Amino acid sequence: MTAETLHANAASDSAAGPTLPGRAHLLRRLMRDRIAAAAALVLGTVVLAAVFAPLVSPYDPYLTDLTKVMRPPDAQHWFGTDNTGRDIFSRTIYGARNTLMLGLVGVIFGGLFGGVLGILAAFYQRLDGPIMRLVDVMLAFPAILIGLAVAAIFGAGLAAVVIALVVATVPDVARVARGAAVGVMGQEFMEAGRAVGVSDRTLMWRYLTLNCISTIFVFLTLRFGQIILIGSALGFLGMGAQPPTAELGMMAAQGRDFLFMAPHIATIPSLAIFVIVLAANLLGDAMRDVLDPRLQQ
Amino acid sequence: MGRQIVHRLLISFPALLGVLFLCFCLLQVVPADPAIIIAGPDARQETIDAIRRDLGLDRPIIFQFVDYIGRVLRGDLGRSIISNKMVSEELAHTIGPTVELMLGGMLFAVPIGLFLGTLAAVQRGGMLDRIIMAFSVAGVSMPIFFIGLLLIQYVGFKWALLPFTGRTGPVWAGGLPSLVLPALTLGSVLIGPIARLTRTAVLEVLGADFVRTARAKGLREATVILHHALRNALIPVVTLIGLQAAFLLGGAVVTETMFSWPGVGRLAVGAIVSSDFPTAQGAIMILAIAFLVINLIVDVLYVYLDPRVQRS
Repeated sequence: MTAETLHANAASDSAAGPTLPGRAHLLRRLMRDRIAAAAALVLGTVVLAAVFAPLVSPYDPYLTDLTKVMRPPDAQHWFGTDNTGRDIFSRTIYGARNTLMLGLVGVIFGGLFGGVLGILAAFYQRLDGPIMRLVDVMLAFPAILIGLAVAAIFGAGLAAVVIALVVATVPDVARVARGAAVGVMGQEFMEAGRAVGVSDRTLMWRYLTLNCISTIFVFLTLRFGQIILIGSALGFLGMGAQPPTAELGMMAAQGRDFLFMAPHIATIPSLAIFVIVLAANLLGDAMRDVLDPRLQQ
Repeated sequence: MGRQIVHRLLISFPALLGVLFLCFCLLQVVPADPAIIIAGPDARQETIDAIRRDLGLDRPIIFQFVDYIGRVLRGDLGRSIISNKMVSEELAHTIGPTVELMLGGMLFAVPIGLFLGTLAAVQRGGMLDRIIMAFSVAGVSMPIFFIGLLLIQYVGFKWALLPFTGRTGPVWAGGLPSLVLPALTLGSVLIGPIARLTRTAVLEVLGADFVRTARAKGLREATVILHHALRNALIPVVTLIGLQAAFLLGGAVVTETMFSWPGVGRLAVGAIVSSDFPTAQGAIMILAIAFLVINLIVDVLYVYLDPRVQRS
């Protein structure tokens, strides 16, 4: 067998690990699940609104109008106005933009670093011990604490939250990636690849990583909602975005001071977080069932 | 079992050292020189140098770390820059309320979660199962402060049923009413995951041979479920509670801040906001150690609940 045919085999060996099925097939299966379809619709709408925030939001999210403070929702201001007369609907759209961005950055970079660590630990046995001990130490710091610590050192801000979310994602992903990679390492094509002299780099990337990637991807979609919850909790504690920047968690915290006069200022951003996370969780569950049912255990 | 615990303690040691090192770095990496902060803005250079010598900041970092560990072991965590009280003293006042809050949250969440999860498993596929599972997914997706805000707004303010700021005292000294809303808030985030996992675990056990044997012996269904299924299902649930410890701790920080609960989390947040580094460092260290301890307790419980672990 030549190295080339081996590469092809490794890439298509579905027994080695779950590989991504055809995209159209996957979509069809996902959409047959009505709850998943609804969740995808909601999440898609929120993402589109967040991306095109300047076009969609009816008002400037930072424009204060002291003649219209704390108005409850009405036809003019769908979500009402806050204590300085800013339009909450527009602020929620911009807030969702920041909140989603935080979650995405956390998941992407956390997934990247965690994935690399996990795969390195599985591939090089002498690295396994040190990497997994590092992961244990990282796990000893709950995400909120990391956020507090980073904010204590560098000052509160979006950067502090991003660092906390990435650091919080890395150890879990590293564990999942290592687990998946150890399974793939036991496959025959890995040994065959080594036997015909495939380089470590190719073995690791084309044989190992590509066969682990869907497991990591599914895990990350499942984690996305949690990451957003942690990010918004840090925002709520005042460790994240600073006023006047709109971020959903921070908006809820600001509304807390007016809870008894105008409860909608705090409840609407909280509700928005709930809707986003719920949709993300439902979609993540459905994707896991389709892509990688083994993760369920 | 003793050996198991010692082994576990040995594994926790590097993690503890890592936690201490990170906390130590908190003060080291702070962009502003602590000596300058303590000395104040108009201090002369000699004063700053003296403080730096006093604090040992002029020595190599590894010596400083060893010193730091020595001080932590002696319970000396420095003085708060804001109140000038010993940090250890401030922490001593706040640990009790935090533990009380966490226990209160668990006492509320664990029985309800176990009950709902078992109910869903027994009624598998039925309406009740679906409702409970929908409720649990919603619970997992809810930001903890949303629940807190709703409780404060309705139960605390509109209906004026329970107090919602501060702590009137320990539970045994009439402090129970002030604990209820914070504990409900903290516990509510745990119900969903516990119910979900209990359902899976009970379902798995219900299919096992020993359950069939128990039924074949003619045991009552309630006995089968409570004594055979649930007891075995508790093992993964205990693990889950350990995994949720991070959640519980993070939730406690948010809950304490919302309800002005005088715990470690609120102390940490307040210290960070006011750049009180020694207090922030001490509070974060205690929270991290608490996390390690919870995980340790969970591991010990695990061995107790599942004798198979002891043998392996």
